[in-house]
Amino acid sequence: MSLDRALAPLVIVVGGGGVGKTTLAAALGLRSAEEGADTLVMTFDPSLRLKDALGVGAEARDNEVRVAADTPGRLDASLLDAGATFDRLIERYSKDRAARERILGNRYYRHLSGGLSGILEYMAVERLFEVASGERYERIFLDTPPTHQALDFLEAPDRIVDFLDSGALKLALKEWFDDSGRLKPAARFGRLGRRFEAYLDDFVGLELLRDMADFFQAFAPLFEGFRARAHQVGELLASRETLFVMVAGPGEEEIPDLLFFARKLAERGYRIGPILVNRVHPRVAGSGSGSSAPDPEDGRSLLAWLGERDHAGLQALEGLLEPDQTLIGLPLLADAPTDLASLSELGRVLGARLG
Amino acid sequence: MSRSLLDRQLIVVTGKGGVGKSAIAAAIGSVIASRRRVLVLEVDPRENVHQLFGAPPSGGEFVELAPRLHLQNLRPGQVLDQLVREKLKLERLARRVLESPIYRHFAAGAPGLEEMAVLGHALRVLRGEAPKAPGADVVVLDAPATGHGVSMLAAPTLVSEVIEKGPIGSMTREVADLVGDPARTGIVVVTLAEEMPVTEALELRETLSERLKREPDLLVVNGLYPPVARATGRGELFELWKRRRAVNERELGRLDREWPEARAELPLLPLGRGVELVAGLSDALRQSLEGGAP
Repeated sequence: MSLDRALAPLVIVVGGGGVGKTTLAAALGLRSAEEGADTLVMTFDPSLRLKDALGVGAEARDNEVRVAADTPGRLDASLLDAGATFDRLIERYSKDRAARERILGNRYYRHLSGGLSGILEYMAVERLFEVASGERYERIFLDTPPTHQALDFLEAPDRIVDFLDSGALKLALKEWFDDSGRLKPAARFGRLGRRFEAYLDDFVGLELLRDMADFFQAFAPLFEGFRARAHQVGELLASRETLFVMVAGPGEEEIPDLLFFARKLAERGYRIGPILVNRVHPRVAGSGSGSSAPDPEDGRSLLAWLGERDHAGLQALEGLLEPDQTLIGLPLLADAPTDLASLSELGRVLGARLG
Repeated sequence: MSRSLLDRQLIVVTGKGGVGKSAIAAAIGSVIASRRRVLVLEVDPRENVHQLFGAPPSGGEFVELAPRLHLQNLRPGQVLDQLVREKLKLERLARRVLESPIYRHFAAGAPGLEEMAVLGHALRVLRGEAPKAPGADVVVLDAPATGHGVSMLAAPTLVSEVIEKGPIGSMTREVADLVGDPARTGIVVVTLAEEMPVTEALELRETLSERLKREPDLLVVNGLYPPVARATGRGELFELWKRRRAVNERELGRLDREWPEARAELPLLPLGRGVELVAGLSDALRQSLEGGAP
């Protein structure tokens, strides 16, 4: 019955939108604390759903907040704020106040930290690493954004290194701009030079490019620390400490995404834990196995149809999985758990199925 | 209000993942295509809208689905590159710019630019300026899920703060005008009548009003269980039906109090994902879109 055997210290919950990842992550977290482990549940969903289920509010934004659950282990929840995490990183790696101010005040940075989606994903991993290395918790559950963004999320450490490593650093070294803020001759591509500069100015405005160059130049001293960190984060994700739990809905249309994602995880050498197929409609014996068209006015008939559909979907998926992969179907609940009592009940069911 | 939704130029469909957003976008496109020329624009790189129409994948091209109805899966990079090519008539110079690291970094790194480019593309299609585009009176955008959907709508404002000049600057201003104009752009939010999706829909409504100073036009409540009414019975399925329907009614009640704009309610249809589902949803939607009060 213990999660210890089934899971790892770091559990990353991944899957498509609307399949119940957040709820399952919260239920697993609560179960873990009930079993006596000091546990943290992290989500970076911008709609802050975790706070609804766990009863924590805006104070959990970028902070670990104690959940009011009477459990032997401590249960905390935290909502990731990409902008705040980024700011904190800058503060940590900047050598002095002036360097810090220069970055934080840069117009390009202010837009970058708030709006760039790759950064958001990277920040989730950063934050996970930060908390994991603090060793305050015996187990951490990370609820991720929907699958295709979750892929971004897995690739984020590599991508941020690429981004910083490539042309961006050249910008930082002011290859393109001289001290007066004019494009250097080398950047003007020889004979096309004047036209190129005029064109760039006309197309986007040199001012924006200057902001970008400034940002990367200010960022350059931070780069080594950043790169080392991204590397460590990649190692953490691939280590024995980390397990990926995939969650999907029951329809057959979910299968291609699920298999695609499982393959991506395997390619990267990540450990794949149980696959949870959530919200499976019950299949009731003798409820007419699809012989006649369902009556849309009769909920029983609709549910029977859905039960058959989900059963077929699960069977199809079962046949496509590797032999060592575990598939766990979780029944549709009459109502989604929105308080600690129903989360605890779900956690108990989950724990039993996993153990 | 719903009546006029059919007369907009751009209809942006968003909502939480898993609520049937793409199927509703497809159904809205189908309904409008009975009278006007429609392009359904998909931005998710894992194409799936074509399956709803039983059509081949778009791969970035325009696909004809029915008379007056086309589909395109858009790669945002296409749009900016095209702008460069148009601005620089000389192919050699255009190639030089497109291949230059400074441009590549700019295109990939400028916040909000890709999102803005998607909306810019919609505007160009409507004006007949996009190469190879079929004529369209309406673009139905199957937008990213809630959080990212709002980012997309807010992108023109974000971009206009940093890029004021040139073709991108002017496109940005025009796109911001289009999106901010309720007479031309409609915003449709899709949800299920369950607690979390409804909470997210209400949060989206608030964010829209904060960041874009405007309200959504229509809420589509998808997948409703039929009323239990006078049906009686027992057994597992009957109990589940009753309880699921009770959740639906509780959430509809919450929407009654907190969602003042128009609402369309669609039944849970026992249809597999595909052409039949879109036809079923279109029939159900047509009534609320054309039949006066929703």
